[in-house]
This record gives sequence, structure tokens and C-alpha cells, in this order.
Amino acid sequence: MKPLLTKGAVALVLLALIALAPRCVPVTHVNMLSEIAFFSLFALSFNMLFGYCGLLSFGHSAYFGIGAYTLVLILKHFTGMPLLLALFVGGIAGGLGGLLVGFFCVRLKGGYFALLTMAFNQFFFAIALKWRSLTGGDDGMSLSRPDLHLPGLGVFSMGRPANVYYLIVAIVLLCVFLQWRLIKTPYGNAVRAVKENDERAGFVGYNVYLTRLSLYAFSAFFAGIAGSLFALFEGFIATSVIDAQMSMQVTFMAFIGGVNSFFGPILGAGVYLYFTDWVSRVTDRWEFVLGVLFILLVMYAHTGLIGFVSLDKIKYFLRIKAGIKGTDK
Amino acid sequence: MAYSFDIYLIQALHGIVYGMLLFLVAAGLTLVFGMMGVLNFAHAGFYMLGAYFGYSVVAWSGNFWLSLIVAPIGVGICGGFVERFLLRKVHTFGHAYELLLTFGVFLATGEIVKWFWGNAPLSVQIPPSLSGSLSILGATYPYYRLFILACGVAVLILLALFILKTRIGITVRAAVSDAGMVGALGTNVPVVFLGVYAVGSALAALGGVIAGPFLSTYPGMGLDILTDVFVVIVVGGFGSVFGAVVASLMIGVLQSYGILLLPKFALVFEYVLMAIILIVRPNGLFGEKE
Repeated sequence: MKPLLTKGAVALVLLALIALAPRCVPVTHVNMLSEIAFFSLFALSFNMLFGYCGLLSFGHSAYFGIGAYTLVLILKHFTGMPLLLALFVGGIAGGLGGLLVGFFCVRLKGGYFALLTMAFNQFFFAIALKWRSLTGGDDGMSLSRPDLHLPGLGVFSMGRPANVYYLIVAIVLLCVFLQWRLIKTPYGNAVRAVKENDERAGFVGYNVYLTRLSLYAFSAFFAGIAGSLFALFEGFIATSVIDAQMSMQVTFMAFIGGVNSFFGPILGAGVYLYFTDWVSRVTDRWEFVLGVLFILLVMYAHTGLIGFVSLDKIKYFLRIKAGIKGTDK
Repeated sequence: MAYSFDIYLIQALHGIVYGMLLFLVAAGLTLVFGMMGVLNFAHAGFYMLGAYFGYSVVAWSGNFWLSLIVAPIGVGICGGFVERFLLRKVHTFGHAYELLLTFGVFLATGEIVKWFWGNAPLSVQIPPSLSGSLSILGATYPYYRLFILACGVAVLILLALFILKTRIGITVRAAVSDAGMVGALGTNVPVVFLGVYAVGSALAALGGVIAGPFLSTYPGMGLDILTDVFVVIVVGGFGSVFGAVVASLMIGVLQSYGILLLPKFALVFEYVLMAIILIVRPNGLFGEKE
């Protein structure tokens, strides 16, 4: 019972910190925390595929972008639509996009899969760039944030950063919880079986194709939600939400944090955003720094940062310090 | 759409010229992909690096022909270093990590290029002997485009002879189909990898040098051609050089007619083609492996 209690306590403290953050830190940091929140969700959605099913989706900004564009278009053309529903529809649109692309892609794996997802990413990018009358092309579109109506709780203005922050964090936490539950189900086990050995999983009786396809759609759904949160937060979107650079960013985040752990990408998103913010203030060559750092990361620390800070390692270290012999493996 | 017949022919020629350029870049990429299973993003970086090396050689010596030789050799050496000291180290971690590594290299190359040559597009002077134009079918056609075509065909023939007729070519083909088995039979596979990687990079650089005066030299050129090349590889089939030829020409001609007939949707055509090919033949036109 004890570890459960500890975990509960840790979770409570974290929740309290998240809730109190807007009161304790300046506005710029509140905005940074909001960004970390939806990019965490994006990175987690990426890692659902790579970490749990071994599928490297190198075009994941497609769904992020679809979510973002969907939200902006809905709020623009259907003005009465409640904000929460619009965000959800953004996710659904991302998921449908994932279903469409997945139909072509999930039969392949490894580098082939990555290549195809990237090509489809470029396809959606081309649409966003060329269909000017719908998407505004590279001029982008701005969005006026509607107020959030919560029945019984009142109206919250989305003009206040703290309110935006709470909305984003609440939705992200809900989605993270859903993802966490999803991988703990028998379906999650099937996903991992497919990762370990897809042929064997097929012979055991799992439908490899459907498992991958549905996972891809789920992942795209969460990426879509992250994208629509991004659009809500920024109040403006352009083709940069759906380009190769965005796909690269999410890959960075997931790998910096660590792809072999559920919470790694969250750590990665935080570190990446703070780090790029800092580096871009110090030098103009931040992409170079990032590229070199990435090479070093892949070569020398491919378990990601969470590999350094995992609880087991800390416990092990403390044990050695305390002189306790043996492990409870 | 009342264009005369000549225009269609000229447009086809434009397409073939661009297709040949695509082929120069795609050939190395598809070979590396077939052998090592690595989706080599650094390849686009090498293409760009080739263009910039070419620019510098021309600026320094005033001789375009020299840049055609020096730039590919220089970039080939860079490619060799990348394979030997970076890529090989992460081989055991699996394909995904190799891909990410090459992506890091690509990113770093892009910044290095901006560092040394600046952000502004550079234009390379076409040598006087290639700057004229030929009149065919009542239209004038620049010599330089015909030169690109000739280069592409020359590389294609040399590559075909090399792969089909020489002993090293046989080893390369065998390694594409099963690298592990070739190694077990006593070939030093890592050296073959190194060689193919270096030659592939050099070919990309050659493409870059040739593309310099044609498409101009700018820091985003790598990413711009990358997507076309990726589509070529998917359509042609992973690891197939012959497939790369056919697919390059298809994409080139398709784009060129797309721009002529439906300019708004020109960018989308190649992806539609890719999707159709994937439905009919999931491994590409000439792909055999999964």
C-alpha cells in the first residue's frame, strides 16, 4: 500500500503546484507553462506511437495542424459553437486525418513508415499553403478567442492568461489520463505485443493492421487536441503549425525526454521549450546548437533525460548510500 | 487550355530535365536506404552543401567545370566521415535512431551553410559555353537544361554499368537484398556501407552543383528537394535504382504538366500519384523488399 500512498502524495503536490502556478510566477512564465502543457500532450501523442508501438511518425505535425486549422475555422464560421466542443472537434478532425493516412502507412514500419508519414505531412502542408481561400496560405489566420461558458460555474474570459492556462492544463491532464488508461488496457498490451514482434503477435491472433491503425488514429486525435489548444493559445496560426519543422520539434521533445517512459516526453517538452528559449536569446545559431545536441543525444544518451532521473535509479543510489544489500526485483 | 502541341513537348522536356536532377539526388538515397534501412535526411544536407561548395569553387577559380569535380569529392569525404564516425556508432540502436541522427546532421548542415555563406540566395554564373540556347520545334531551349539532361543520362549509364557489370556492383546489390548474409560470406560490409554512403553523398552534391545555376542556391534548397525525392523513392520502390529513374521522370513530367495545366494544384499531384501507387503496389513500382 505504501508505494501507492507515496505516488498519491506526489501527484497531489504536483496538482497543487500546477494549480497555484499562475498566482506565484509572472505572466511570461504562465504562458510558458501553457505551452509546455499542450506540447507535452503533442509529444505524448507522438510517443504513444513510437514508444509503445515502435512506429516513428515523422509527420506528426499534420494532425497538430489539422486540429489547429479546424479550431480556427470552426470559431470563424460557426460563431455560436461552445469552445470545448470546438476543441473536441479539432481532435476528431486530427483523428480522421490519422485514419486516412494510417490506411496507407501502417502496413509498413521502420524507416518506410517514417518516410510515408513525412510525405503525407508535406501533402497536408501543401494544401494549407495553396488553399488560400480556406486557410489564408502563408499569411495565416487570426482567431478571436471566445469566452468559455461553463454551465453552473459562469463565464471565463479567455483574454486572461491565467484562464487560458487553467483551461489548457485541465484538458491536457484529462487527455494524459486517458492516454495512461489506454495503454493499461488489454488493447495497450496488444499494442506492445505488436511492437515487440508483429509477426508473432499476428500468429497469436492479434489483428496487427487494425491495432496499428487504431493506435495511429488515437494518437492523431490527441495531436489534434494539442494543435487546437495551440491555436487557442496563440490566437494566430499559419502554415508553421503543419510544416516539417513542427514535426521535428515534437520528435526532439519526445527523444530529449526519453521515449521508453510514459512521462519522458513531458519532461522533454519542458526542457526543450526552456532550452530553445534560452539558446535563442544567447545565439542566433540555435538550430546548429540543437542539431549538434541532437546528434550527441542520439549517440550518447538515447534513453533521454528521464534515463538519468528515473525513480529506480535514485532509489538504487540511495540504497547504495545506505549500505543496503540486494535488490527487490 | 488551347496550347499548341509544341508547348506540350517543351513542357515534357522541362519535366524530364527536372526528373534527371531528382534522379541524381534520389539514386544515392535509395541505395543507402536499401542497404542500411536508413532514411538518410543528411542527404539533402549534402545536396545543399554540394551547391555551396560549387558556388565557392566557381567564385574562387572562375571555372564551373572544376566545381563539378571538386564539390562532389569534398562532399563525398564529408559523407564518409558522417558514416564512419556518427552513423556507424548508433547502428545497434535501430533504424529510428539512425534516422534521427541523420536529421541532426541535416539540421547542423543547414546552419553551417547559413554561417559561412549567409541567408541570401546566391546565383552561380552559367559558364559561357552553356549559356546559349538551342532552337527546337520553333522554340528556344537553353543549353544549360540540356546539359542537366546529359549529366543525368551520363550518371545513369555509369551507375548502371557499375552496378550491373562490376564485382563491387554485385556486392552492393547483394548487400541491398541481404546485408547480413553478404557479411557472413566474408565481405567487409561496413566498408561497402561506407563506400555507398560516400558515393551517394557525392552524387547528391553533383546534383547540387548542377542545380545551383538552375534553381539558385539558398539555405532552404535541401528541404525543398527532399520531399520530391522522398516521393520518388516511395513511388520507385525502396532500394531500387531503376525504380528511382522511372519515378524521377514520372514526378518531373507530372509536375511540369501540373504547373502548365492546373497551377494551383501542382503541388498536390505527386502525392496523389504516390497514394495511388501505394494502394496498387504498397512497395513501390520496382520495390521487392518489405
